[in-house]
Amino acid sequence: MVYVGPILFGFILGFILGSRIKSNAESKVRFPISTYLVVLLVALFMAWQLGPFPYYVDSVIASGFLATIIGLLTGKTVWGIKNHGI
Amino acid sequence: MSTILKIFVFPAALLIMCLGVLIILGGHITPGGGFQGGAMIAGAFIFCAIVYGLKENPFKFSHNFLASMESFGALGFLILGLSGLLFSGFFLYNLGVDLNQIIPSFIQNFFNYPDPTNAGIIPYLNIVVGIKVLVGLSAVVITFLEFK
Repeated sequence: MVYVGPILFGFILGFILGSRIKSNAESKVRFPISTYLVVLLVALFMAWQLGPFPYYVDSVIASGFLATIIGLLTGKTVWGIKNHGI
Repeated sequence: MSTILKIFVFPAALLIMCLGVLIILGGHITPGGGFQGGAMIAGAFIFCAIVYGLKENPFKFSHNFLASMESFGALGFLILGLSGLLFSGFFLYNLGVDLNQIIPSFIQNFFNYPDPTNAGIIPYLNIVVGIKVLVGLSAVVITFLEFK
């Protein structure tokens, strides 16, 4: 059984934060897609190391953490690049 | 700031923000809660704001965004409190748990947070408090950085 609470609200909060990520065209430091891929892999490892909350038996990883990083990346992809582009 | 810091801070801030959200979502079971998680998310934003400066900061917390999120947090808390007052007669009554058995079951199901702990409205309160705290602390730092 999957517990919807942390997955849903983690995704929503991540999406809100991700939608505020805007790449700055004037900045010398750029973050290409590979940066986000590395962040996703590190987040997956962190979620596995953190483990689920007490009394949660639906998965072996922190589902809220993973939902948040997916929400962040989705928010950045959907709304985050409209001003300046990657 | 040095280039090494500029390369490191943004990815680290993403992970710290995720950890902050996890602290918010686990506030009813584990140590932490809305304030602590919100402060962690704001800390990640402040980390970026200090290293990149306000102009180059990848996280653009505009005035409208801050105002709307602050309003959402405050109104969310108020609506949850007034819902308790409306259905049970007690302000901030935990409608999702209903210890006194005084409200219909469909209202209890509506307000119950979907997880195995049967925590009722407590996680929702944590979420709205977290949003309010992250906006409040970020706004303070943005204000300070604007007035050099």
